[in-house]
Amino acid sequence: MFWQVIASNRRKTVLLIIAMGVVLAALGFFLGEAVGIWSQYTTFSAMSEGDGAAGEHKAGYIGLGIAVGFWAVLLLVSLLGSDQLFLSLAGAKEVTHDMYPQLHNVVEEMRIAASLPVLPKIFIVDDPAPNAFAVGKGPKNSAICVTAGLLALCDRDELQGVVAHEMGHIANRDVLYMTVAATMLGAVTIIADTFLRSLRYAPAARYRSSGSRGGKGMANLWLLLAAFLFVVLSPILSRILYFSISRSREFLADATSARLTRFPDGLASALEKIMLSPERLTTAPQAAAPFYIANPYKQDLDGGMFATHPPLAERIRILRSMHKGASLKDYVKAYWEVTRTRKTLLAASDMELGRVIEKRGPSPKDTLREGAPDSSARKAGDIMRAMNDYVFISCACGMKMKVPPEFTRGNVRCPRCNREHMIGEADSNALAAILTATAAFTRNANHSRPLSATGRQTETPQVEQRKPGTWQTVKCSGCGRGVQVSPVFNLSRVTCPTCGNAIEFEGEKESFL
Amino acid sequence: MTGTVVFWLIVAVLVIVLLYLIGIYNALVGLRNQVKNAWSQIDVQLKRRHDLIPNLVETAKGYMKHERETFENVTRARADATGARGVPQIAQAESRLTEAISRFMAVVENYPELKANENFLALQEELSSTENRIAFARQAYNDAVLFLNNKIEMFPSSIIANMFTFSREAFFEMEDASERTAPKVSFS
Repeated sequence: MFWQVIASNRRKTVLLIIAMGVVLAALGFFLGEAVGIWSQYTTFSAMSEGDGAAGEHKAGYIGLGIAVGFWAVLLLVSLLGSDQLFLSLAGAKEVTHDMYPQLHNVVEEMRIAASLPVLPKIFIVDDPAPNAFAVGKGPKNSAICVTAGLLALCDRDELQGVVAHEMGHIANRDVLYMTVAATMLGAVTIIADTFLRSLRYAPAARYRSSGSRGGKGMANLWLLLAAFLFVVLSPILSRILYFSISRSREFLADATSARLTRFPDGLASALEKIMLSPERLTTAPQAAAPFYIANPYKQDLDGGMFATHPPLAERIRILRSMHKGASLKDYVKAYWEVTRTRKTLLAASDMELGRVIEKRGPSPKDTLREGAPDSSARKAGDIMRAMNDYVFISCACGMKMKVPPEFTRGNVRCPRCNREHMIGEADSNALAAILTATAAFTRNANHSRPLSATGRQTETPQVEQRKPGTWQTVKCSGCGRGVQVSPVFNLSRVTCPTCGNAIEFEGEKESFL
Repeated sequence: MTGTVVFWLIVAVLVIVLLYLIGIYNALVGLRNQVKNAWSQIDVQLKRRHDLIPNLVETAKGYMKHERETFENVTRARADATGARGVPQIAQAESRLTEAISRFMAVVENYPELKANENFLALQEELSSTENRIAFARQAYNDAVLFLNNKIEMFPSSIIANMFTFSREAFFEMEDASERTAPKVSFS
């Protein structure tokens, strides 16, 4: 753990809350003033003429009061429920172990490596752009979210690198800081935006503020100008404040990822895939951009003042130049080497100078299986579909149909063999269906042809009694799998989708077709 | 006058030394608890692996008709590992089990039908995840042990450690060198 980083994150969170409070209060004051002056020159000009000095900034103080109240509400929201807010803004859905065992396992592994007390909640966003983010209040209450695109593109090692990066944000308490900051930034942006927009439709009062009102009118005009300037500048100011601090965090999270996984190349190659992907994230709220492992809006190739993330290419180069080991010290050395600076990324007490962490090799090919580009893209898509109430129907001819919830008719015909299927009565347990569907898919991709070629089906087939007109499940004698046939299935022979064993049916046949 | 000043100075120094010693003692207790906690993390994952193996063997039996020896090896290694007591013995038994599993997985290579079985694939993912978890938990455990042992051996905390009989803990070392660098189930 980076104790110095954690302590400084706590400090910065408090500082940021105060700074944002001041900005908001000033914004409220100026806006109130502006509105006050405005009304003075338009509808209420006759009344306000008589107001004394005490009432001069009345509107301003009202605005200030509103802003402070707003700030308090924001603070409460960001401390209590902003993680949920961002997750729902991003359109994230929680996944269980059964839905995506690999992702769950990888998160659990990284939780153990980071020795966090509680497993973060795991979410998936249905977006083809590869990306990931973490939100939460601290190690005991956090969530990690990855996009379907990331799951589709990355193999196990790469996924592990990305998850470890997010775990780093959680362990270093970056999440709380980022959540609070994003909420505050979002609020300032929204207020300023609303004001500027309303300005456009405001009555053209400016032209009436001619010299007849003398010095007071001029002073008010200056105040109005100041208010205007402040409104324009405050979102930019808060953004600079926010983004400038969020960049070094990415390096630190990368360093943590390398240390936890002991395999910096995993994260590096994931980042490469993210960099090269042509997809752009469509679900990311603007204020939440710094949450993501790579900026969802632009690829940060230059790393200008507004960049939320350091250039991806630089991060990759640093990870790739960790030749000796995977410790924090090795990362800092690689960082110095690549950026040609001696900037202190980490306090010396956090660097664990004495520690030697050997790099490990890549995991064996078989365990990376789920990352094969075609199959896992389909799998990630299927998980999203299952969560969005798609119905999965497996036809006896081997065709898999995915029926969207918008489809209202009660039955559907298989496009390959023209059998009719009742929706609703079909696999209502969509999850089970996906699991079998994806497993069947992997098998199709690898082994189904060689299997039937070995002539397995010529062995004595298994014989079962067919109950016509009903759903029926028979146990395959070859592999023990339950093979299900639909009420409309009226052929005398079915092939087990797992092992290719032939099962013959006896008994009456009811004709449907 | 000077006598009372000296007296209070001595008292102050004694109090400071006492507080310091209490601090060392508490740090030692904290480290020992950390080691215990880290060990329980490993223990959970080792148990998880022991529970997974019978399922794996059961699933494979339907396909691998002529590999009795391989099955027996795995089952025996698992029984040894479940029965082992004490960190060094457990470490030894567990690394033998790891070896048996990787030999078993090498044999699986010859059975493409088994490799396509969805049940088996799911178990394989769980198993390799468990192996990773053991590796990561072992890392955390060894870190904790290193800190504790250093504290016990180094002056001045060594005095307190001897007084209250804090004992050094054993590292959890897997014997196989390849296993040490790579947390993995090897299939090839």
